[in-house]
Amino acid sequence: MTRSAVYWRIASFLVAAGFVGLWQLIANLKLISQVYLPGPDRAWAALVRGFTSGDLASKLLGTLEHMVYGWFLASVAGIALGAVIGSSRAARSYIAPSLEFLRPLPVSAIIPVAIAMFGLTQAMALFVISFGAIWPMLLATVHGFAAVEPRLYEVARSLQMSRLAVIFKIALPSAAPDILAGMRLSLTVALILSVVCEILAGLDGLGHSVLLSARAFRSADLFAGVILLGVIGYLTSLMMSYAESRLLGYRRGIR
Amino acid sequence: MALSAVAPKQAAARPQSAQIAFSNVTLILGGKPIVEDLSLAVKPGEFLCVVGASGCGKTTALRLAAALYQPTSGLVQFDGQAMTAPRRDIAIVFQDYGKALLPWRTAAGNVSLALEATGIPAAQRAGRIDALLKKVGLPNHAGKYPAEMSGGMQQRLQIARCLAQDPKALLMDEPFGALDAMTRQGLQDEVLSLVAASSTTVIFVTHDLEEAIYLGDRVIGLLPNPGRIGIELPIDLPRPRDQLTTRENPEFLRLRRELFDFIKASEA
Repeated sequence: MTRSAVYWRIASFLVAAGFVGLWQLIANLKLISQVYLPGPDRAWAALVRGFTSGDLASKLLGTLEHMVYGWFLASVAGIALGAVIGSSRAARSYIAPSLEFLRPLPVSAIIPVAIAMFGLTQAMALFVISFGAIWPMLLATVHGFAAVEPRLYEVARSLQMSRLAVIFKIALPSAAPDILAGMRLSLTVALILSVVCEILAGLDGLGHSVLLSARAFRSADLFAGVILLGVIGYLTSLMMSYAESRLLGYRRGIR
Repeated sequence: MALSAVAPKQAAARPQSAQIAFSNVTLILGGKPIVEDLSLAVKPGEFLCVVGASGCGKTTALRLAAALYQPTSGLVQFDGQAMTAPRRDIAIVFQDYGKALLPWRTAAGNVSLALEATGIPAAQRAGRIDALLKKVGLPNHAGKYPAEMSGGMQQRLQIARCLAQDPKALLMDEPFGALDAMTRQGLQDEVLSLVAASSTTVIFVTHDLEEAIYLGDRVIGLLPNPGRIGIELPIDLPRPRDQLTTRENPEFLRLRRELFDFIKASEA
């Protein structure tokens, strides 16, 4: 890390610390009633209590499960469907119009449909989360496949590579930067929809626990849950960055 | 020493010995004839250079030889068989090496792509890759990605991948056009020695007339709109060729003059 990068890192920590300090100050001065706004000290205490004596760990696990399963399902389906659409003109002309109809559909409009079909179940959550999270990956994969350097397809032709080999050795790796960017976007969508589904369907998870805390005016627990959700979003995004830099390491030399 | 010049080549019957044979090949793209009634025979082991003003269809002719294009009429044959699809024993070296290499694979991985396609068992690949990279002068760069290599190195790498196909014929499309003069001369000599060692047939497209004479057993010049053969020069310069003595040979200078005059006339 260069010297200026270290300074930027320090500065960003100072800003974050400043926000927490401001929050504490507002809470201490009781500008907002403590019933609604706990200070960071109380939120932190609730967080620790939740993990040591409460059921915060199992709630966290519940949300992570919803998010990861839904995201994984969306990834597999999105990349596979995107590969089919992206590599075949026929598939594109058959499937694309239907997708153009489904894509702008707000996921919130799908939730009642999913509830009617699956009930207030895990299957409903899985369906809604994957439905919402599939789009960034699907579109990124289609785009990535369409943007493969045509010269590489000629190389593949002159090597008489099979269709499967072309997809796995040329098209997929070539589309990988797009696909990974789509997966990162989808991860956020999956987290949002996990929380929404938990709130609406009462499924075990942070979303549900946050809702219950709010209804019981346990503001410290509410904030503990919200902080934890923020931490999930931050850490999963960090993991995606790490995966990207590992998988796309070959691009370091490209300037 | 009476070399017949400008007379356009007749659509001669293909000699039986030809490895690559064009018989009255016409290609029409978008309603426009790109090459017209092209007949051409390349003997096994021959080094044929194709020159011509830009837009004369020399790259198109090469792509026809590779079956990346199918002729509108006429026939392209390889070893007596009609070319209906690209074949692995015909390798193409593209001019834009940066686009023809897989950026996510190392040098070794790029060579491996051809070996994988050929069905070489994984256990044998490493040895073959080492040998091929050594052959093109990249023995210490196996782990580098194309983005970490110079243009000359990337083109060497593409040549190594083409050699991995174990080709009977090598089609080269202005392979050194984007390289600086020193690198280009070095690569010219390397290609000559690689080809001499393996008796591979070569069609080499270039816009550099001296390069064509220096490398070729025969040079054909194409006329534009539509592309057709305008001149054909056998090159009887002694081999092995040498960057200094060959280029100073009076016969080299005479051929150079003839070819320059032809190109000038074709552009007029």
